[in-house]
Amino acid sequence: MTLDPCEKCEEVLQPFLDRELSDAEYREAEAHLDECSYCRKRYRFEETLRMYVRQAFAEEMSPDLKAKLAALRTPLY
Amino acid sequence: MNESTPETGARRIAEDARERVRFEEEVLELADQVYRVARRLVPSREEAEDLVQETYARAFRSWRSYTSGTNLRAWLMRILTNLNIDRGRREQRAPTTQPLEEGDYFLYNRLEAETGGEDEQRIVQRLSQDGIVDALSAVPHDFRDVIVLVDIGDFSYQDAAQILDVPIGTVMSRLHRGRRILKQQLAEAAVAGEA
Repeated sequence: MTLDPCEKCEEVLQPFLDRELSDAEYREAEAHLDECSYCRKRYRFEETLRMYVRQAFAEEMSPDLKAKLAALRTPLY
Repeated sequence: MNESTPETGARRIAEDARERVRFEEEVLELADQVYRVARRLVPSREEAEDLVQETYARAFRSWRSYTSGTNLRAWLMRILTNLNIDRGRREQRAPTTQPLEEGDYFLYNRLEAETGGEDEQRIVQRLSQDGIVDALSAVPHDFRDVIVLVDIGDFSYQDAAQILDVPIGTVMSRLHRGRRILKQQLAEAAVAGEA
């Protein structure tokens, strides 16, 4: 079964954004995105969603834990 | 044969200490990133803090088993995921029974239909950050571990495969399915007005 260009583009959305496509596959996807606003919108959405997801989980560790980790180091003397 | 005079012995000890200090400093610099991943692999903040401390205690103890020049972040994460599995901390969840027929454009299409053609940025902002946290915790752990490593920890597929000790193809398929489950959760919450 051969996929139409938009279906193919949907198939490679994730590895494209993960930078895990081969150069040839990457160029092929980019060429399609250049001319297809339907896929372009969906790629932009996914990219924004990923940044948003990352922000949602950007929780800092407490200074207390940081100090505890440093205290686990081997004493020098 | 190893000729050891007091002088060479002392030099070796000093060199060893320098190397260890360097190693410990590099490991400590990665603490925020390690914590961020740990925080999403286990259910609570307290458990994440314990897990990170155990990871660091073990890393400091076994620093000689790290090969200088290899990926230190991945080495640490491997210790962390192994400890997590050993302690049986991973939450057990029933696998999802919902059919997952939707493709990768599904969430956008669903939200776009709801909002009637806003731009992508605004559509994403309709999802609350708390909603995203809830949605990820509803993803079964095998899938979630991979999402946490790749999307939050920024590891490559290859690193994630080594950390979890699974083939790279398994990482790709779990990531693919995990992200779809995540998006399905987000879509359901958005439609229900919760996300």
